[in-house]
Parts: sequence; structure tokens; C-alpha cells
Amino acid sequence: MSNFKAVGSRLLQLAFVLWAVVTILFLMFRLMPGNPMAAYIDPTFTLEQQQQLMAQFGLDKPLWQQYLIYLGNLLQGELGQSFRYRAPVGERIFELLPNTLILTFSSLIVAYAFGILAGAYLAWRRGSWVEQAAIPMVLTTRAMPEFWLGMVLLAIFSFSLGWFPAGGTRNPGAEYSGLLDLYTSRDFLAHLALPAATLAIYSQGLPLLLMRSNMLDVMKEDFVTMARIKGLSNWTVVVRHAARNALLPVMTSFAIAVGYQLQGNVVVESVFSWPGLGRELVNAVAASDYPLAQGAFLMIALVVIFMNLLADLLYAFLDPRISHA
Amino acid sequence: MTEPLLSVRDLRVSYQVGRNFVHAVDGASFDIPRGSITGLVGESGCGKTTVARALTRVIADNATISGGQILFDGKDLAKIPEKEMNALRWRDIAFIPQSAMNSLDPVYTVEYQLGEVLRRRGGMDRKQARARSEELFDMVGIDRGRLTDYPHQFSGGMRQRVAIALALALDPKLIIADEPVTALDVIVQRQILDQLKELQTRLGLSVILVTHDISVVAYICDRTVVMYAGKVAESGTMQQTLTAPSHPYSMGLRNAFPDLQGAASGILTPIEGAPPNLANPPAGCRFRPRCPFALDLCGSEPPVIDVAPGHPVLCHRASESENLRIEAAKTETWMARA
Repeated sequence: MSNFKAVGSRLLQLAFVLWAVVTILFLMFRLMPGNPMAAYIDPTFTLEQQQQLMAQFGLDKPLWQQYLIYLGNLLQGELGQSFRYRAPVGERIFELLPNTLILTFSSLIVAYAFGILAGAYLAWRRGSWVEQAAIPMVLTTRAMPEFWLGMVLLAIFSFSLGWFPAGGTRNPGAEYSGLLDLYTSRDFLAHLALPAATLAIYSQGLPLLLMRSNMLDVMKEDFVTMARIKGLSNWTVVVRHAARNALLPVMTSFAIAVGYQLQGNVVVESVFSWPGLGRELVNAVAASDYPLAQGAFLMIALVVIFMNLLADLLYAFLDPRISHA
Repeated sequence: MTEPLLSVRDLRVSYQVGRNFVHAVDGASFDIPRGSITGLVGESGCGKTTVARALTRVIADNATISGGQILFDGKDLAKIPEKEMNALRWRDIAFIPQSAMNSLDPVYTVEYQLGEVLRRRGGMDRKQARARSEELFDMVGIDRGRLTDYPHQFSGGMRQRVAIALALALDPKLIIADEPVTALDVIVQRQILDQLKELQTRLGLSVILVTHDISVVAYICDRTVVMYAGKVAESGTMQQTLTAPSHPYSMGLRNAFPDLQGAASGILTPIEGAPPNLANPPAGCRFRPRCPFALDLCGSEPPVIDVAPGHPVLCHRASESENLRIEAAKTETWMARA
């Protein structure tokens, strides 16, 4: 019962955050310098034609009215028309979103799976030469900029060795019957490998170091000592008791990392010409395609907010002290 | 007297601190007879918890058992291989920790934690483990329905009962209870001690109760081992060590504590000073700097004198204990030193 109440109050908070994001986005693009219609309206148009177009987009109305129209449209899932593509923004975003999500989640899942296991292992082998060699290496990967790492991987595995394609999501001319067919194809996975590897290498440091330091803390806890006094096997002590408890904060960091990663994607998607939301966002801002940029921002914010909710729910599921409080 | 269950001989445990070694336990010897509750008492830092943990051989990373024997059931626990020791843990020697809150894993239900021991260490299947868990909860007086609760849902006293149930799970021969009631209020302390005593008598267990609290020892124990600065000052029956103690330190302890019964039997007299730094212990008798009866003679290593069979005392003046006891009962004796 209290669970439902907690989820309900979280959802309410979420709605508020969403409203705030939407409002800031609305104001941000209207306060930015430059005429949003500059890219759309040909200077050779007559003043009347220009005003007619402004009216058509609702730009002649006062700000508060524009705001209400904007909110009303959003509630109906209407994100407006892209200036550049002259097509609905929603369509374009939903075309690109899966690419971004696949890249983000595949790289993060690999990074977290590796980071958690390696972090737990390094904590267990504390003080050994393996640990002493591994920690500087991890710190090095944390320090490498994503775009640089991406270019190095491209130079080695694509341009010199030719093992992987250099960019895009599929070979030119390849046709697939549907999205699922595309995403499970060898072609797509080969294209995914390098950008995903770049992001994974860049992101594994956080879960690894977090897991390691949590493990070191948890290993000092009384219940771990007690597990040893109980004569439980080393595996049971380390995995079932120490790692299980050390995992809790790492899982929360996953959700936060998704939000962080979506920003990182902007860079990696550009390096690998990956047709995702991040690259589109950059292009849209550069081209003053405000409806599209606004839509892309909103979508990214939605994913981040949703992942935070998921983290909260996951934490409650993993830690009985929270769900039964 | 029959063969004791546990016989500790000249046990030495040292901690490495930087480049130095601190001998937290420096030649402790005592016996634990079968079917008794033995109180292991002494002030903080005297080595009592280190002794308790050394018996399980789960000690701090920087600690080593550097000498002596721990004879348990014909085996020397200080020498047997780790595998053999691990087979013995919890099946023969169980442990009740001080803070049951921190020693129960917060993310598993109590039933899971009982089941873990029963299945992994006791070889039971799920169904047997379930039945045994219910039986154990009945024994310690907790409602069976609470088996599925998590540790944080129990009160402090209840958690301590859970810890007792855990310790009893595999019918061990020896239970080591490290300050089992220290974190609890006096009323709950008494309930838990009564429970422990009742179970000990009924199941014929041997218990080592580690505590700094003389009133707890007086309330429940049959025998006492008094430790001071890494050594056993004296050990024997309650009568020998607390009612009529022979070591000046035990005499001082007696004056310094009220009893759990509540009857304030006069003024409490503290032992002035602090225990010695074990990284650099004083020569001779370690209690000498605080002892009102110290003589020049006490500057040399004190002998172990058996003032009665089964009642060894580590003191030069052990044979004069009858006279010293009369002096020790006076508050002035202890104040004069300060």
C-alpha cells in the first residue's frame, strides 16, 4: 500500500519536473537571439507574405498565448513542424531515437557488466599486483576524451585493419524488411561495434571504481565478518553478501549515467556519423531549426527523467530497507 | 573434573601496526568446561574480543596467532589447516556478535539468513531448513510469522534473539557471545540473558560470554576468566573470582560495578589510571602501575599461582590474597593511589 503511495508521489514529482523542462525549453528558444523564421522565410517574400507565414506558425500572437498553444499541442503529442525538413518533428525524432537508445544502452550495459565484475574482483584482490596495474589503466580510460578515443579506434580498426565500417548504421544499398530485421543484422551490429566500444570504454571506469570502493567498505562490515565466522565459502561471502550490498549505489549510478551518456552521444554520434538524436540536435541548433531542436531536447529530457524514476524503483526493489521503510 | 571442551594454552595474538607489533593477547591460558557459561571479562582493549575471535580464527587482516594452542575436542585450532577449521566453524563453534544490527545482512530476510546456514553448512534441504527455522524462532520466543521480515524490521532486543537463533542453528558445542547485550537497555539485557541461560541449561551448551560488564557475568556465568592487558589475571568459578577474588585487579573490578539486581550495595570505587599501552607494556606485572598492593617484587614477571585447584592467579602476592581482600574492600585503599 505504502509502495503505491510512494510511486504515486514520485510520478507527481515527475510531472512537475517535466512541466519545468517544457517551460524552460519554450522560453530558451524564444529568448535566443535571431529570428527563428530566418531560415524558413525567404527575404524576397513581401512583408504581407512574411506576416501571413508568421501568423500561420502562430508567431504573431503574444508570448503567453504561444505558450498555451505549445502546451496544448504537446499534450496531444504534437511537436510541431521542422523548419528544415518541412515535416513533423515527432516523425523525425522517432526515426532517430531507436538508434540513440540502442547505442546508449548497448554500450552502458557492456560498461556496467564489465565494471561491476572487474570492480568486485579488484576489491577482492586488494593489494595484489593485478590491482596495482589495473587502477592506473582505468584512470587512463576515464581521462581519454570520447572523440579522441573514437578517432583512435576508427584509425586502427576501420581504416588500417578494415575490420569494422567507419560510420552510419548500415552498408549503402542494404535493405531490411523492418526495424527488428535491421537491428539484428550482422551489418548493423558491425556498424554498432566501434561507437558502442568507444562509449563503453569511456564509461566503464565509473561503475568499476564505484563498485570497487563500495566493496572495500562493505567487506569491513560486521555481516561480512559474520559470514566468514559462519564458515560460508569465499564465493558466498564475496558475491552473495559483499557484492550484493555494494551493488546498490552502482545501480543508481546506471540511470544517471544514461542521462550523462546521452550528452556524450552528441560527440560520438558525430565522430561515427551515427544517425541518432545527439547528432541531429547539433545539426538542428546549427541550422536554427528550433522546433526540431526543442523536440530533440525534450526527448532527451524525457529519457533522463524516466531513467531516474527507474533508478528509484530499482533501488527500492534491491534494498528492502527502502521499500519496507 | 572431566576433560574441558576447550583448553587455551599460552595463546598469543599480535596486530601489526605499521612496523610494530602490538601483542593484544600475550600468553593467555584458560579452560572452558563442558556445559558451563564462562565469562571472559576485562576492560576495553584487554584482548578479550581478540581471544574470542582467535577461537574462530576469523581475525583482522593485520592480526596473526603468533603462538600457543587452542585445544578443542582433541584438535589444536591454532594449527589445523584452514579447510579443516572452516568445516568446524558454526557446526561446532558458533558466534553471537555484539551488534546484531550490523551483523545481519540488511538485504536478506531473516529466514534467508537462517536458511543459508542450515542449507550451506548444515546440509539441509529447503523444507528441513524451513522447519528448523520455525523451531529456532520458537526457541528464542519470536513469532514464526516474522521469519520473512528483514533485519531492520526488528527491534534491538529481537535482533539479538535472531542472532541467538542463528548461533543455535546447527547445534554447536560452543557458543562464543561477544558482548551480546551491551547495546541493549537493562530490561532487555535481562530478558536476553535469561533466555540465553535457559537455552544453555536445556541444551547443555558451553558458552563463552565476552563482556566488560561484571554485573552481566555475576548474573549468568558459572565461571570467570579475568583478563588484563593481554594476559589472564585469574580464572576460576564465580565464587573464586568474584565473590572472593585473589587478583587485585578482580578485587578492584568488583568494587567498581553495581550488580544487575539493582541493589546498590554502597559506593562504587573506580580503579584509577588506565590500562597500559600494549605496544610498549610495562616490565613485570602489567597491573603494577595501578595496583594498590604493588611491591618492588612486582617489577619482575609475576608467576601463575594455583591458589586452589582450577583457580590460577597471575600475581606475586596471590598467597596473601585473604589479607589483601580485606584491604581492597576499603575505598581509601584505592583512593590513596590517586
